[in-house]
Amino acid sequence: MSPIYLEAAVVVLGVFLLALEMFVVQGEKKILAWLGIAGLGIVLAASFFVDQTAPTGAVPSYHAFYSTDSLAMFFKRFALVTTIIVLVMSVDYLGVVRKFTPGATAHGGLGEFLALPVLTCAGLMWMASAVDFVMIFVSLELVTISFYVLVSYTRRNAASLEAGVKYLILGALSTGFFVYGITWVFGLTGQTNLEQVSAVFAAYQGSTAPLLFAFVLLVIALGFKIAAVPFQIWVPDVYQGAPTPVAAFLSVGSKAAGFVVFIRVLRTFFHATAIAHKIDLLLVAVAACTLVYGNLAALPQNNLKRLLAYSSIAHAGYLLIAVASSADPASGGAIAFYLAAYLPMTLLSFLVMIVVANYSAGDDIADFNGLSKRSPFLAFAMLIAMVSLAGLPFTAGFFGKFLVFTVAIAQHQTLLVILGIITVACGFYYYLRVVKAMYFEPDTTPSGQPGGQIPVGLLTRVTIAVLIAAILVLGIYPKPALGLLGSAAPQEAAGVLRSVSPQVVLR
Amino acid sequence: MVTLNDYLFVSGLLFAIGFAGVMLRRNILIIFMCLELMLNAANLSLVAFSRFNLTPERTPNYNAQVLVFFIITVAAAEVAVGLAIIVALYRAKQTVQVNDINKLQF
Repeated sequence: MSPIYLEAAVVVLGVFLLALEMFVVQGEKKILAWLGIAGLGIVLAASFFVDQTAPTGAVPSYHAFYSTDSLAMFFKRFALVTTIIVLVMSVDYLGVVRKFTPGATAHGGLGEFLALPVLTCAGLMWMASAVDFVMIFVSLELVTISFYVLVSYTRRNAASLEAGVKYLILGALSTGFFVYGITWVFGLTGQTNLEQVSAVFAAYQGSTAPLLFAFVLLVIALGFKIAAVPFQIWVPDVYQGAPTPVAAFLSVGSKAAGFVVFIRVLRTFFHATAIAHKIDLLLVAVAACTLVYGNLAALPQNNLKRLLAYSSIAHAGYLLIAVASSADPASGGAIAFYLAAYLPMTLLSFLVMIVVANYSAGDDIADFNGLSKRSPFLAFAMLIAMVSLAGLPFTAGFFGKFLVFTVAIAQHQTLLVILGIITVACGFYYYLRVVKAMYFEPDTTPSGQPGGQIPVGLLTRVTIAVLIAAILVLGIYPKPALGLLGSAAPQEAAGVLRSVSPQVVLR
Repeated sequence: MVTLNDYLFVSGLLFAIGFAGVMLRRNILIIFMCLELMLNAANLSLVAFSRFNLTPERTPNYNAQVLVFFIITVAAAEVAVGLAIIVALYRAKQTVQVNDINKLQF
């Protein structure tokens, strides 16, 4: 079975959920989420049994724009797992959506909130496989346009609408840059397929100015998607205003897919040896700015969603360190492991935040005061997520950062390593503030009954437990996971980025 | 004789006008029109590249023209969603000026 059926199955599932919502499910919509979770789970299981070998015939097939390499498969599974957990969050969040969405009936207008993430997931999976600029563009837009709708979904909430408009304008702006960048690549090479573009770039003799122009346009556009400074301006506002599950989806799914495309485009441009050292310089500069800005701006935040937004920028910075050290063969594995660690810890913090915010009606850090006394389980889950995001040993986050720094040191990226270590220290401050609020502040719930247990649904409880286990297992015994990624990511992701000779590496 | 450079110049000009509009104008609808202008700048240069960089068989390179169709389609989808969001915003706040959307700030 070819992997293209995975995306087809996801699209069918999404449309099926919409039809079901329209014709069958009149009351409670939670059943749609459960069906979605089950369906995506089946697709995830099926993804381990697909045939990845590309046909070798001379006849051009869909493989000209659809790659089935292990990099693509890794990110397809990543997108599926993310979407499943986002759907679990959405079930808990439905109450808030209902309050802020006008509908004819009590449950009207909720079905799309559960079906759209499934369709977005198909877009993310196509992005993971796209190796042609047309395909990259269309799948990227499928994801972005779905997110416009999702971000502004709770339209009676002024903050959500405002976030939607901001995301719309800046997202469309990045689309404009992306398309114009593609135009110049096409003008230079006459090709849209990444492999053929690479071949033309490798033999390129002309002026470097148009090449750099095209590259910068593409970096601006992809920088928006992965939230790299200075293209991060939308991130804090959109995360704070958007429905919380959507913010989580943006910060994990959209960012990871952005990184795959970024890696593939970068790999293409590294074939143009004339500009390779300029690309290196640009990457180092962007990574340094992202690290410093994300971590420093997170320090004074009092709203947890906003804090996680800046944290997501900061993590993009650590990932960019690995991208900037891409001459090292281990960098692809480091990126993959970092993202695999980033997924459970970020989603766990958003999930706990949704449950707590449902109860205390707020997502400021102050709403977490004394959580350990009210609800030890949730407080423990948040503790694990925060120490992992900060990068303390025995958590997944620690090994992610460890691998990234190892790669960077091997590539003599002294500046980035020093900045990285200083900013990790900043990170301790703002992540551990949340822990302090939960464990050392008196219980002062603004609205609720103090001492009252926060009710947690069974599905949520199981998901939280699985995510905690994933963080701890990846942190204490990462070897099997590394081995798994070793077979999955490196050959493709690792040799990743370049096939240029080592002397062009920035030293 | 109109050359490739002329087309590229006009396309660059359109892109610059669009970008300046997005940065400088305060009305969301005008910003949105400027965004469309940027996409059309790309379309114009794609068609020009396709027309002037002939393939060995002396036919235009149709890859670019296919891409143009995709861009037009995606832009239409974007406008449909975008205008819906702007209408919802207008219903909620009775304004389409960016200066009035300032609830979320640092």
